[in-house]
Amino acid sequence: MTERSGAVLDRARIELGLSQGDLWFHYFALGGMSSAIDVEAYLADILEPSTHDHDLIAHALNELFTELGQNHPVPYLADNVTTGSRCQPGQE
Amino acid sequence: MSSDHSPPADFRVAISYTDVAVVLDISGELDRQSSPELGAVFDTMFDRGHDSVVLDLSGLAFMDGHGLRVINHAARRLTSLGEVLTLRSPSVEVQRILGINGLAASVRLELDNTEQSQLGPEQSSVDRNATVRSSPTTSIKQTDPMLIMPVERQLLDDALGLVVKLAKMAVRAADGVSVSLLRDGQIKTVAASDQTILKMDKGQYATHEGPCLDASIEGRWFHVNSLEKETRWPAFIPMAQALGIHAILSNPLLSKTRPVGALNIYSRSVAAFGPAEQELAAAFAAETSVVLSNAGLGASADVRSQRLHDALRSREIIAQAQGIMMERAGVGEDAAFDHLRRFSQQSARPLRERAEDIVASTRWPELDIEQIEAGPYD
Repeated sequence: MTERSGAVLDRARIELGLSQGDLWFHYFALGGMSSAIDVEAYLADILEPSTHDHDLIAHALNELFTELGQNHPVPYLADNVTTGSRCQPGQE
Repeated sequence: MSSDHSPPADFRVAISYTDVAVVLDISGELDRQSSPELGAVFDTMFDRGHDSVVLDLSGLAFMDGHGLRVINHAARRLTSLGEVLTLRSPSVEVQRILGINGLAASVRLELDNTEQSQLGPEQSSVDRNATVRSSPTTSIKQTDPMLIMPVERQLLDDALGLVVKLAKMAVRAADGVSVSLLRDGQIKTVAASDQTILKMDKGQYATHEGPCLDASIEGRWFHVNSLEKETRWPAFIPMAQALGIHAILSNPLLSKTRPVGALNIYSRSVAAFGPAEQELAAAFAAETSVVLSNAGLGASADVRSQRLHDALRSREIIAQAQGIMMERAGVGEDAAFDHLRRFSQQSARPLRERAEDIVASTRWPELDIEQIEAGPYD
């Protein structure tokens, strides 16, 4: 069975030894608008975050992994989207 | 009359009915596993038309964020019906959790007479009616004026100034934002987006009434959908109307669980603040409350305030960079963030630094997105 997206994020959080509150703070600093309770619910797969919110949390985790020498191990949902209006870096 | 609701292990909900309310007496551990059970009971009660609900927490041994979320949903649902969820006999620890998460402002607390309340004296009375307004003078005297330490004021004021700026940007239809805070025994405006908003706050202090004052004193939120139809605060309303304001949203700011101020959002449009705006404003107020809760606790408060300050600066710079990307690349907000995120990923540099590069690049308009990607300072 495929692991749910919240569980993937929460596993990464635990691997980093990060509290849920600290993860929310990193997410908030990146511009996240969801409350700490909502983020907690995303991690528990009780609520489903938007792709943007998911990727904000993923990026918050990845920036911390980068400090530990790991290259963005947490996957982004937007990278799995093959259609739509998203742009690649450098693409005008 | 009472009945048990199919209890999972270590968690029970006993339902009983009084003449005026449904009482849900929960015991055991309210956590990820058991919270859906309580949610289902709430749903059943609401579906049956019960809008007067007491949640008895005296037998609760443990509650985590999942339980808090279920209670929060129930409280919001009752609030939308014009009712208030009553929480009976929460432990000191549960009171603290409610306070930190801003939930204490949207429920009514019934505390045991023998129990030491962790709320301010103005909130601790048994069966306090949330619609009863207390006099400003009395309540201000009852609240501890030393909650905000002078040595930390500058840092705190900077952070609150950023809160005002960000809340105004984030909350749609907000024409002005202010933060009022209890200082030296008086409620004062410590940050305001412009002079009109400052006058709005001062008008409330002068008339001793208004949503900003009531939120600061009573520790619960006030929403004025349309000043034309508002009957509360008769002295203040004409003053607000003269300044062109038509809708107000005041969320309480709490230090631990004591109300110490309010985040006030004003609009020139009637019915400006829908559920999404209300939720966003509450989120800003809750985060600000976390900082205020740590003010006055020595060095750790400095660190905490600095951390919030940095986070707010980071949000601001990222939002600016997103705006620039949206304009230059003709993409939406989320796509602009994806751009930024990929720049960060490819360069293994924090997103904030890449955002700073992009904002700095506006000084060199000849730079395009590709050059930014390479990094103007690389």
